[in-house]
Amino acid sequence: MVEEIKDINFSESVKESSTPVVVDFWASWCGPCKMLSPVIEEVASELEGKAKFFKINVDENPVTAAQFKIGSIPTVMVFKDGSVVEQFIGFRPKDTIKDVLEKHI
Amino acid sequence: MEHRYDIAIIGSGPAGISAAINAKIRNKDIIIFGNEELSDKLIKAPKISNYIGFPDITGLELKSKFQNHLDIMGINITFEKINSIYAMGQYFALAVNEKMYEAKAVVLATGVEYTKPLKGEQEFLGRGVGYCATCDAPLYKDKTVTVIGYNKEAEKEANYVSELASKVYYIPVYRESPNLKDNVEVIQDKVLEIYGTDKVERVVLKYKSISTDGVFVLKSSIAPDQLMPGLILEAGHIKVDVNMRTNIEGCFAAGDCTGKPYQYMKAVGQGQIAALNAVSYLDKSSYS
Repeated sequence: MVEEIKDINFSESVKESSTPVVVDFWASWCGPCKMLSPVIEEVASELEGKAKFFKINVDENPVTAAQFKIGSIPTVMVFKDGSVVEQFIGFRPKDTIKDVLEKHI
Repeated sequence: MEHRYDIAIIGSGPAGISAAINAKIRNKDIIIFGNEELSDKLIKAPKISNYIGFPDITGLELKSKFQNHLDIMGINITFEKINSIYAMGQYFALAVNEKMYEAKAVVLATGVEYTKPLKGEQEFLGRGVGYCATCDAPLYKDKTVTVIGYNKEAEKEANYVSELASKVYYIPVYRESPNLKDNVEVIQDKVLEIYGTDKVERVVLKYKSISTDGVFVLKSSIAPDQLMPGLILEAGHIKVDVNMRTNIEGCFAAGDCTGKPYQYMKAVGQGQIAALNAVSYLDKSSYS
């Protein structure tokens, strides 16, 4: 399951998690984001319990988008113990995403 | 639900045509994307001496033979430019601006791109540098954006960005004078570098330097790993095995885009291998 987060609960959701956290930065007008979203959902269900998955709408949450200097979307960031350990920009196939995440799980 | 083709072939040069003919002979439901000239390089070749059976044929003559072969087989080329291909797992989604096509397998036969990336282009990709202005323009609302346009098409995107950004600079990398909205400032100068520290700060030109928050680099053809995110390249070419398989299941590649030598016979041979393996991939997956 990929849960929607916002500026107000970003910190507690992401930074205080005991497991790795994957955040998908997206917006409704972004085509590649729409393609990536079901792929991330699949990855999330396959890696359930090993990592937490969130998505954040950059239009509605400008504070977080600015904090992480989001210049292209989709951007996916992996957080571990509150800091960014990995990120990629743009669509990726499922296997590639899993390979990236499994390094941190 | 969209119609889902068996095989989508991207490119109408020798490799793509060979893939299309072989897949059609195997009775697959195919779509081939390309242009009316089939291949710009083919029609420019003054004389070809190493294509078996056609000594001293001109590029134009060979093109018309290829076209005739396509006509006899009833293969029509779709004159559309694919912007992105998404590997969705069980199928591929092919985006043409707002339109989408779907296919179970893909053969990439896109040829080679000769333009080298600009200095700083890859380093700042996603940190100010982007390849799709219409995709990322809303992120630059009330900011300064520079568009480096390699063709007339880029002008449309620059005009769109100018509706959102506070300032748009346009640097044309071609001869004709651009047709742009009044609020877009055209700069006729050579780009030396996209410069920044943790994100893009300015574009360094031969005669001056401009401060900017974002840079869009809009080229005629897209690098294969930009066209299909997740595709693995090796020394600028698509990495394939002897069966023309790429690292993405169901995606094959053929011709110049897979590496040297850049030759017609090599391209058509690889197009055939790619098509036949795409056919066996489809037949296998229909059993499971």
